[in-house]
Amino acid sequence: MPDFSLSPEQESLRDMARKFARTEMAPHAAECDKAARFPDEIYRKAFDLGLMNLNVPAEYGGSGLSLFDQCLIVEELAYACGGMTTSVIANCLALEPILLAGTPEQKERWLKPFCAAYQFASFCLTEPSGGSDAGGLRTRARKEGDHYVLSGEKCFITNAPHASLFTVFATIDPSLRHRGITAFAVPRSAAGVIPGKDEEKMGHRASSTSTVRFEDVRVPEADRLGGDGDGFALAMRTLDQTRTPIGALATGIAQAALDHAAAYSLKRQSFGKPISEHQAIQIKLANMAQAVHAARLLTWHAAWTIDHGAKGTLESSIAKCFASDSALHVADEAIQTFGGYGYMKEYPVEKLLRDAKLTQIYEGANEIQRSVIARELLRAYS
Amino acid sequence: MEIVVCVKPVPEPETRLRVAPDGRTLDAEGVKFILAGYDESAVEQALLMKESVPGSTVHVLSCGPAPRTEEVLRAAIALGCDKATWVEAPAPFASDPVRAAGAIAAVLRSGAHDLILCGKQAGDDEAGLFAGALGELLGVADLGFVVDLRWDASSSRFKFQRVTEPGVERWEAAPPLVVGLQQAWNDPRTAKLPNILKSRKAPIARAPADASGATPSSEPEKFELPPPRTGARMIEFKTPEEAAQRLVRVLREEAKVLS
Repeated sequence: MPDFSLSPEQESLRDMARKFARTEMAPHAAECDKAARFPDEIYRKAFDLGLMNLNVPAEYGGSGLSLFDQCLIVEELAYACGGMTTSVIANCLALEPILLAGTPEQKERWLKPFCAAYQFASFCLTEPSGGSDAGGLRTRARKEGDHYVLSGEKCFITNAPHASLFTVFATIDPSLRHRGITAFAVPRSAAGVIPGKDEEKMGHRASSTSTVRFEDVRVPEADRLGGDGDGFALAMRTLDQTRTPIGALATGIAQAALDHAAAYSLKRQSFGKPISEHQAIQIKLANMAQAVHAARLLTWHAAWTIDHGAKGTLESSIAKCFASDSALHVADEAIQTFGGYGYMKEYPVEKLLRDAKLTQIYEGANEIQRSVIARELLRAYS
Repeated sequence: MEIVVCVKPVPEPETRLRVAPDGRTLDAEGVKFILAGYDESAVEQALLMKESVPGSTVHVLSCGPAPRTEEVLRAAIALGCDKATWVEAPAPFASDPVRAAGAIAAVLRSGAHDLILCGKQAGDDEAGLFAGALGELLGVADLGFVVDLRWDASSSRFKFQRVTEPGVERWEAAPPLVVGLQQAWNDPRTAKLPNILKSRKAPIARAPADASGATPSSEPEKFELPPPRTGARMIEFKTPEEAAQRLVRVLREEAKVLS
């Protein structure tokens, strides 16, 4: 039976993340959003405090947290700024393939020096021609002696302009579809690795996103993660691990939206009383609170399931899908509670809607999550 | 240098306070107690001193009940304190600053210390008596309202400032010294995540307070929350001139602060 009462240790971790989020991140959230600024100084502090490589075991220089504890931290960070949180936790996604498929020698060689200094890694799966259809990716990996030669283009790659390390998924033979996909660790310093310019985004504007081109990049066989053709399964196993914290990220955004709406409703007067005394607003707040609570519990349950050794594909898909849909809905209702002020950039809630939107799209679009949920569900009936 | 820092668990500033059924104390049920305010500055000062004087150790002590006292000690360890002693005492005993100082002095008498740091007052009752009582009980000079404390190795003396109402005083003093620190002149650090994890497993020495002989220095008679604030009043206006006229009228005729 899961027990979701937090231990003193978990409370300490959450409190530290909350303090960092509210004192270091929140004061700069609006400014970074407006200017699409990548706040290097804040990310450096996050690294110094151990908030960046949460999933990497301590022996390799990471924080070595359970998925549950990662979720506690991610929710707190996202409460202050979804975009900064995306950049802070992107290393967890990029390094997960090394954690899952790396040999002890590769982990030693890649993770230790990486985690010892402030730097970024990027997970390169999505391509201009498709993200959800990962089996159909086109970046090629041609074998030449004891090397592979990578050529192709990835897009929507978080932190790519700042990254020193890329985990790249490419195909050794497109006709093999899923069975041809192979994963590699590629340093930024390799000749032919070319990140593109920062994309202008709707939300998560404190985070940085760009294309990455691979122009005949020579990658030693020793830097292949797993075997030839193991890449698709590795990408899916990676996303099984990292999908749940996206539920936590969405929950943090939703909680912020609810808190703003509730506080505003107590101050704002209409018809001679605070709008919190109007039943229309009370119903709104009650529904928002239900969505936030359910999103958090689904996220915690998915994390608990995976921490206890199960694959958790169904649970993490449900958590990510529900929490991100809830975040969009709750942010929308927060704007509605604020009325005209909510639509103004001077107030904090419209940003939450823009930030919430991405959580429905990245790390597996919610359409894919629903098809995963349906597949797992129907398997139980057939 | 042997550095000691004494801390007290205080309610988190955002806590909604309630009066206990006895009508004389804070209802601790559901209240989260943390290391905060003046004590956070004191821990930061202890760590800065340790970093500036090689070979120093920081010993953190706190007097109070479970679980709050253990939690603030672990928070201090996560920040970088080397060892911790929990002086176990029930809440009414520990909330009396003179008795708490007596219990902590009893532990400190068995060792040699160069510098004993405290917040100049606790963040909750703001009594401001602990540092003075501790200095008195240990027979060590004590000074409050201190900022910018440094060790001058050439003269083997502490140099520091006291911020008082008439102005800033510059001081120097030889060890041992008890110091009550002002809040927020330094920028207290945040504990790193791996250190938080390590602090959970760190040993904490326990020393039960001897409550038998100590008589209370004071006892609370009544504990009341401040009355709720009355509402602000908005002045309706169409033009700035009208706003100014109406405001002046209110200040003159109702508030009577203008003649």
